[in-house]
Amino acid sequence: MFSFVYYIKEFLRPTWIRSFLTAKTAPLKSPSYFRDFPQTTEKECTHCLACMMICPAPDAINVVQRAGVWQPEIKKGHCIRCGLCIEACPEDVLASGRILEYKRREELTLKGTYHISIDQKKCMGCGNCSVSCPVNREIDPSLRSSGTSTSDEVIMRVDTGQNKVLHEEKCTGCKTCEDHCPNQAIRVARVVEALQGGEE
Amino acid sequence: MKKTVDVSLPIGPMHPLFKEPCRIKCETRGEFVLSAEVELGYVKKGIERIMRGRPWQEVMFLAERVCGICSVVHNYVFIEAVENVSGIAPTERAAYLRVIVNELDRMQSHLLANYSYCYTIEHETLAMYLLNLRETVMDQLELITGARVTCAFIIPGGVRCDLSADGAASLRTALDHIDSELSRFVRIFETGPLIGLRSKGVGLLTKEAAIEAHAAGPTARASGIPDDLRNIHPTYRLLDFKPVIRYEGDNYARIMVRFEEVFQSTGLIRTALALMKEGPIRGGGTIKAGTVRYRGEAPRGELLYDLTTDEHGRILEIAIQTPSIMNIQVCAHAMLKNAQSAADITAIFISSDPCIACTER
Amino acid sequence: MSLLQSLKNSIRSRSIHVAYVNVGSCNGCDIELLACLSPRYDIEQYGIYVHNNPREADVLLITGAFSPQWEDKLKPLWDKIPNPKVAVAIGNCPISGCVFNRPETLVDPPVSKHIPIAAEIPGCPPRPTEIISTILSLAPLIFKDYEETNR
Repeated sequence: MFSFVYYIKEFLRPTWIRSFLTAKTAPLKSPSYFRDFPQTTEKECTHCLACMMICPAPDAINVVQRAGVWQPEIKKGHCIRCGLCIEACPEDVLASGRILEYKRREELTLKGTYHISIDQKKCMGCGNCSVSCPVNREIDPSLRSSGTSTSDEVIMRVDTGQNKVLHEEKCTGCKTCEDHCPNQAIRVARVVEALQGGEE
Repeated sequence: MKKTVDVSLPIGPMHPLFKEPCRIKCETRGEFVLSAEVELGYVKKGIERIMRGRPWQEVMFLAERVCGICSVVHNYVFIEAVENVSGIAPTERAAYLRVIVNELDRMQSHLLANYSYCYTIEHETLAMYLLNLRETVMDQLELITGARVTCAFIIPGGVRCDLSADGAASLRTALDHIDSELSRFVRIFETGPLIGLRSKGVGLLTKEAAIEAHAAGPTARASGIPDDLRNIHPTYRLLDFKPVIRYEGDNYARIMVRFEEVFQSTGLIRTALALMKEGPIRGGGTIKAGTVRYRGEAPRGELLYDLTTDEHGRILEIAIQTPSIMNIQVCAHAMLKNAQSAADITAIFISSDPCIACTER
Repeated sequence: MSLLQSLKNSIRSRSIHVAYVNVGSCNGCDIELLACLSPRYDIEQYGIYVHNNPREADVLLITGAFSPQWEDKLKPLWDKIPNPKVAVAIGNCPISGCVFNRPETLVDPPVSKHIPIAAEIPGCPPRPTEIISTILSLAPLIFKDYEETNR
């Protein structure tokens, strides 16, 4: 009996009635600081592929040419909205939430260096990696199909039946060599360092 | 031949009260539970197999997806493990920011666990109150990190983004709100007569049984084991951390330990906000070769990452030990045994806060 | 007939019973589904009831990247749901396998290989607002003219 009285008293309070009549649920929209799928800004993409290199999800981002303009394309359903591509992009092509804003303000960068390691026990010296490497082809267009080269400027070349790495620092981390190796002898490691305040 | 077992009662893998698939197989005589066994393996994805041979920027996201509820602590412990290998120390501001985000994550995990328990004992009002309070915590997480669940906040040498002055002010307001609201809800929980009937003295776990079965986290602390790895963490030491202990060892004690840890977390965040100074949030540094076993305190107990890296920072070998497996086993073998009613099975199981995704990975 | 059908359409779009099944997710999507129940988002005001019982469900929400244990369990579960029914994939995992779809993994995405998926909500995990707005935009469409099209 007491509880009935209690509830009636509770429900007759003016504040209760007012909140009952004017209750509103929050609108169904994401706040501005939410890290949503990256959107392209008006900046021009230079086709450096830094976003693809850092992306942790399989085929979530692709840099494609549409009507003569290179631009990154996010695949919904693959993208995990981590926002690393936005931080890695040197040209600020992508934006999402507040990431671009704080990246500019605090000069945050993700610096990537690449290391090529060749398992000499597995390497057959076929030269597929040297031939398929896009940087190699640019430096020395006359690179032979056996992977040998007369140029000393290439990233790697076949020398005395074995593949040798000459200029590791030129690697862009595309991993084309990994895909073309028949023996899984070559591995490209990305070493990423998170830095603040420009050059240190 | 006298028949001792009446019914073999399976619960799960799809059960209205379980968020995650697992099966409890109980042998019952009447309502009395004679023994119980937990069958796992419904969400095995093989994360450790995928992690091998990958650099930190990929493994970090996989580690976060070991468990969606306590994603921040997996990120935290993994990154501190690789920092330990390569001798990187986070900047001072970053260390405090990590603690703030980790404690916010702990708060939402504990509130979710207590929501599940209240929902399981059919006290839906309190459950919904707690779930709504959890949204306040999630808002703060989203404000700081930009995402609600998989925050991806902690990286080697620092954190992803800074906490602005506005953010700190809104965090302080939210903490005051949480404290005042939660003390009301805790009073409801403490004084509710029906909650007491369903919770006090149900699912008893003695200290001896808890030590024997290696119980971890709030389950162990509710049985009087003062084990909390935040004791030995360098940043938490600066915050004057003391673990919460209760001695009853029943469902009620486990839920109350979680409630008290939420209050404790708000206190830790306030202290961290007060101690935090302006400064850089990223220190840089690359991962080097080495082997480490690193432990940290997850919302559910001790979390261990055992990993080996190569000279380019790739993970060669990794093994993760999560707290839930111990808690699930101690639940099956010590707590569910001799439960007085079949209706208590789910309540006891949920009160140990099992996380199946953590357990199976 | 058409009047009856339009009545059915409008009623069906306002009374949706939901069951969810976790076929190997990381829990992230599951807790975002739970957050939809909270008074802030309150999906019951739109007539969506979470029963978590396949036999009275209209919509099956699937989270997770299909682990091997569900090989023989998801299809019977799908068959238990009475017609009309749809399955909605929540999060990246049922769509593409998310970060788990790598060499050496145990999961077998996408889930649409195993049961028909009507709609997908991408995101890892999607926000509760995204889940609710997708289900609400879906609600008038999924069971529209069910009797007409399946006569």
